[in-house]
Amino acid sequence: MSNPLLEIDRLSVHIPMRGKGLLSSGIKLRAVDEVSLTMQRGETLAIVGESGSGKSTLGYVVAGLRQQTGGSLKITPSRPHQNGRKPVQIIFQDPFSALDPRMTVEDIIGEPLRLMGQDRGTRRGRVLEVLEQVGMPAEAAQRYPHQFSGGQRQRLAIARALIGDPELIVADEPLSALDVSIQSKILNLMSDIKERHGISYFFISHDFGVVRHLADRVAVLYLGRLMELAPADEIFANPAHPYTRALMDAVPRIGRGRRKRGQVLKGEIPTPLNPPSGCVFHTRCPRATAICSTERPLLLPLVSRPAQLAACHHKE
Amino acid sequence: MLRYTLSRLSQAILVTFVMSFLLFMLIGLMPGDPLENMLEGNPSLTPELMAQMRELYGLDQSVFARYWNWLMAALSGDLGYSSLYFRPVTDVLFPAMLQTVKLMGLTLLVSVPLALLLGSLAARKPNGLIDSVVGVFSFASISLPNFWVSLLLIILFSVKLGWLPASGTPLSAAPSALEQMRHMVLPVAVLAMFHVGPLVRYVRASMIETLSADFVRTARAKGLGEGSVMVRHALRNALIPMVTVLALSFGSLFSGALVVETIFGMLGMGKMIYDAIGNIDFNLALVGLLLATIVTLLANLLADLAYALLDPRITL
Amino acid sequence: MTDVTVAALPAPRSIWSLRFEKFRGHRLAMYSLVFLAVLTAICLMAWPLSQYLGIDPNKTNLLARFKAPNAQHWLGTDDLGRDVLIRLMYGGQVSIAVGLLATFLMTVLGVAVGVTAGFLGGRTDAVLMRLTDCMIALPLIPLLIVLGAVDLTKLGLSAASAGSPLFIFLRIVIIIALVDWTTMARIARAGAIQVRDRDYVRAATVAGAKRRYNVLVHVLPNISTPLIVAATLTVGRVILLESTLSFLGFGIVPPTPTWGNMLTNAQQLIISAPHLAVYPGLLIFATVMAVNFVGDGVRYAFDPRAENEGRSH
Ligand SMILES: Nc1ncnc2c1ncn2[C@@H]1O[C@H](COP(=O)(O)OP(=O)(O)OP(=O)(O)O)[C@@H](O)[C@H]1O
Ligand code: SF4
Ligand SMILES: [Mg+2]
Repeated sequence: MSNPLLEIDRLSVHIPMRGKGLLSSGIKLRAVDEVSLTMQRGETLAIVGESGSGKSTLGYVVAGLRQQTGGSLKITPSRPHQNGRKPVQIIFQDPFSALDPRMTVEDIIGEPLRLMGQDRGTRRGRVLEVLEQVGMPAEAAQRYPHQFSGGQRQRLAIARALIGDPELIVADEPLSALDVSIQSKILNLMSDIKERHGISYFFISHDFGVVRHLADRVAVLYLGRLMELAPADEIFANPAHPYTRALMDAVPRIGRGRRKRGQVLKGEIPTPLNPPSGCVFHTRCPRATAICSTERPLLLPLVSRPAQLAACHHKE
Repeated sequence: MLRYTLSRLSQAILVTFVMSFLLFMLIGLMPGDPLENMLEGNPSLTPELMAQMRELYGLDQSVFARYWNWLMAALSGDLGYSSLYFRPVTDVLFPAMLQTVKLMGLTLLVSVPLALLLGSLAARKPNGLIDSVVGVFSFASISLPNFWVSLLLIILFSVKLGWLPASGTPLSAAPSALEQMRHMVLPVAVLAMFHVGPLVRYVRASMIETLSADFVRTARAKGLGEGSVMVRHALRNALIPMVTVLALSFGSLFSGALVVETIFGMLGMGKMIYDAIGNIDFNLALVGLLLATIVTLLANLLADLAYALLDPRITL
Repeated sequence: MTDVTVAALPAPRSIWSLRFEKFRGHRLAMYSLVFLAVLTAICLMAWPLSQYLGIDPNKTNLLARFKAPNAQHWLGTDDLGRDVLIRLMYGGQVSIAVGLLATFLMTVLGVAVGVTAGFLGGRTDAVLMRLTDCMIALPLIPLLIVLGAVDLTKLGLSAASAGSPLFIFLRIVIIIALVDWTTMARIARAGAIQVRDRDYVRAATVAGAKRRYNVLVHVLPNISTPLIVAATLTVGRVILLESTLSFLGFGIVPPTPTWGNMLTNAQQLIISAPHLAVYPGLLIFATVMAVNFVGDGVRYAFDPRAENEGRSH
């Protein structure tokens, strides 16, 4: 396809650190560092990586919540400039902070339409429509968020993301705060929606089980850099990057309770304030050699499987 | 710590200059102008002469130029002349300061021990009898007008019972110490009563908190007597943050002193400011207000520093 | 796909009806509210009553000084022969009006500063908060006295309007709001910082919401609870400030009566007519106390720790 939905080119988010008082300390935190990738229409891309690797930051840039400090990002909606319609929407992890406790469900879900300038009467029909799509009854519309469980709230958040007819939904770990039994239901709902509406997900997750179920391609981030980018079946069959391999070995499969967040590998994660030279993974990599600490590996296709890209001097 | 001290100190100095300019402008907005008030009723003054005098005193210049002139003079020790007392401002200022220091010092000597005592007693049995009485008392003290309480006390103790003098200043030229004290009883009683109210609430709350803390329970378990637990552990712990509370109460204590000094006819800083503004004595009002402001800012600065020094959780 | 049992949930009860119920449970607060309502109603009767009794409350009559209570002057007359009751009633109108208006104004001011600081963050926040820190420390009464002494004609107002009762009234409202907005600002800031980082604000931003929308639609409703509580408790303090200022002669000046300035003269009359010092002070005390009790009740009713009572969770 010649006309991708999302094109990210060497995108960086460097956050200047505040020193004591009002002055900048001159140090920058590299939350996202020169990441390039594209997404096709209808494609679901999973972003995985340890805590602090920059997944949310990248997702926020895609959703327009943050500005990149370098590189570019281009979204090409199939139907551009339609009365304030936003091609990207977002779903968050914590369903309790996602819904304004002072608003009724109808107002919460209808908010994107309100921001497009539609009045309440026009919105109502559409609100009921998306409520049904996410498996919630029409009576929910007049209730307040506190009357719903975590899973129900996540359905409502999905309904809000759907109502403006987006083409891309950034989902920042939408399942990790839910009970396991609920997780699979929401997961089914999301893949249902994907199929019915042809929506793309920018799907941030810790959970390879979920990723395998939903993703078409997988991007692996470490310390703000893209380590590997490959079709889902290929990466699960043959992870090319040592970091990807380590992640898959360390992470338990779905159904074994909630993920413990944070570190899954041996050794400390270096700070993004002062990332290691060369390959940022070399301090923890079992295959590291001399070149790894001096030269930054480029993200290149494998010879055997050209659809699979990895940034490693010794990739498989 | 040194860096923190210096940065806070420089901030305080900056604020002092800003405040001095604001007060200078405000004072300049009082009715009349300094010359008119000083020379009022002098029949030999022709309008031409008046204009000459204005030029001589620099009153025809902009407010910035006048502020600059005043500031330079003030920094070199010349605070101007009081039109109300026909004396240099400094001559009026120092006795007034002494009077107010005496009044506020005595008040603190009464209110702090009283607050500690009442607060501890109330904290020993929350919702018990003593606690309820203390609660009603502190509630009343934030609801009562202090000037009215002063009037009632004068009516009761001076007019009806004749026990205490109604004025805060002895009439005789060389009063004995006892005589001076007798005159201070009512003013100090009023001020202390209003100072104790909020303080006692604070002591009570922090005592209840520390009494339920682990180390106090350990001390109790070790068989220490109740009294020694209260004093050695709980009270000492409650005292540290109390420095901040006391410093923050300085402003309201000074406000109270102004009212009390005015009613009891004591020539302290408060009454001096009151009289200066009432009689449009520009120089005296400005210096008095500025001094009150500086001392308050200083008290807060010291409290911040003391807090930073005493509280182990804050590292600088 | 419908594992959802919303239909079985009870119909939503408005949060306000729950709060009102809790407030009613706070007996002191309820009595205080009734007291304040009655007091306000009585004070509003000042004009009709003075007409009925044929009294001009501002007219001095040196032949009728210090009259004992009688059929025309129910509480007697003061040192200038004016009716005490009618003046107390007018004074109450002033006190209550100043208390409500100044509180409203300082809430607006404090919320503006606090929400700006909290929502924008960074340097704006640092500067605004330093400013509030300084304001909090300052001694209010001396500051209010200077502000009360400011000659409005120097600010370009005509002498006639500067001296009119309405202007004197507004000026006191404004200067009290100007020096006492800091508590509100801190509360608003703390709330704005909390709400700013909530995901519902982020979701709205992604959907195209601008800062103004987020502040009006999400931040303000969600910080209203602590603000309402603080505002109620502020009314009492404002009434005290106004009466102190008027007592000192820098607030509302005679002939307009206020509970504060009715005590200015009483000071000179302590020996001859001490009862004149009792009524106004007692009314200030009772009013402020009642307002504070109501504030206590509002705080209790809005307390989130008790908010889930009677809910189906
Ligand atoms: N506003 C900010 N200020 C300072 N540091 C930030 C900010 N936002 C992100 N960071 C830092 O950027 C890095 C990447 O954070 P990000 O939230 O994107 O990670 P993540 O991969 O989403 O982690 P998690 O799995 O914990 O959600 C972290 O080190 C984080 O501390
Ligand atoms: S480049 Fe070297 S350090 Fe980096 S992942 Fe490959 S082998 Fe490991
Ligand atoms: Mg994240």
